Amino acid sequence: MTDPFLILDLLLAGAVIALAVATLTVRDLFAAIVLFIVLGLLSALAWVRLSAPDVALAEAAIGTGVTGALLLKTLHHLRYVAGTLGEQTAHGVTPVTPVPMSVIWANAAFCGLITLGLAIAFLDAPLGGPGFDALVADAIPASGVDHGVTAVLLNFRSYDTLMEVVVLLAAVIAVWQIERGLSEAPSPDLSVIWQGFARLTLPAIVVVGTYLLWKGSEAPGGAFQGGAVLAAVGILLLLSRLYVPRPAHRALARWGFVLGTGVFAGVALLVTGGGRVTFEYPPEHAKTLILLIEGLVTVSIAVTLAALFHGREPVAVRAKEARHDA
Amino acid sequence: MTTFFGIIVVTLLVSILTGLIRVHRGPRPADRMMAAQLVGSAAVAILLILSRAMDMPALLDVAVVFALLAAVAVVGFVVLASRKVS
Repeated sequence: MTDPFLILDLLLAGAVIALAVATLTVRDLFAAIVLFIVLGLLSALAWVRLSAPDVALAEAAIGTGVTGALLLKTLHHLRYVAGTLGEQTAHGVTPVTPVPMSVIWANAAFCGLITLGLAIAFLDAPLGGPGFDALVADAIPASGVDHGVTAVLLNFRSYDTLMEVVVLLAAVIAVWQIERGLSEAPSPDLSVIWQGFARLTLPAIVVVGTYLLWKGSEAPGGAFQGGAVLAAVGILLLLSRLYVPRPAHRALARWGFVLGTGVFAGVALLVTGGGRVTFEYPPEHAKTLILLIEGLVTVSIAVTLAALFHGREPVAVRAKEARHDA
Repeated sequence: MTTFFGIIVVTLLVSILTGLIRVHRGPRPADRMMAAQLVGSAAVAILLILSRAMDMPALLDVAVVFALLAAVAVVGFVVLASRKVS
């Protein structure tokens, strides 16, 4: 009898490829977003089948949850109306101009090159080799944590991780440069159902986000996953308008954005000296330092993702330059 | 027992694939979103079973994250879609 898990893997691989094609080719933008969310879901399952629960968790939290919300918000921002160019003009929205075929082909060519490079790298890799598992396992006692992935991310290659945090910081700075204004859209009627829902889910999300952060030192989890889950609290508060960003909150938000990057870089520099290079945490304090960095990076990631979802710097703009969708 | 788990997981995946037809064809946004929620519930079930079958307790955490963030997607859809043409 055929192993059912082989059937599962084949079906899953086929479904992921089919979904990727569908996401790219579907005409309706909303359909593309929902297909992308489901693509993230099935990719997470594929990572699970590849025995990579860390990646699955990151994909579930960031790829599916937060990215889905960000894309929905972007679509809302575009005031997209389905239909022909004429119908779109009648609704007073900017007609969606099709992307030129040359751009599509150029993108396809770049993607093809990347796929080719990955294929070459995959074929050149030694078959069934031990990888870096043994190296990481040997070095774990010096890292201060018990989980290999966290040891690699926060200790062995922390410079890369710092850069990932900086990417988020740069993204939110760019967004605040481009978009300004207070959103004054009327509050949607979510009252009764929302209150029960918020009472049930918001505490649960806070607990799960903190738990993922704490668990990161010994099992899959950590700052990015925890931060992404905690960002969902911010997204829900913004959606329900329980929290409305005000100009006076900008200073606090800015501290939130730079907190993680600042402390990460600060610790890396402060441990330098006495024969140690930058980022080389003293083993006896490694766990404390890693938890400190992870905790503050989590706060920064959550605040930054929620701010990206809000998508604009909350400043009062003059009526003349007010946003059309404010 | 593992074979039994395998058959259940394949069945759940087939139900996901069937749900994908509704995600792709719509026609209304609500149809797509509800189908995506169904897919999410089935994915949570698959994760719960795989955590036993593959002996990876960490998958339970992935399932929790899926379940919680699916709710966020629905709220986002309700709020943002209902204000779409205002």
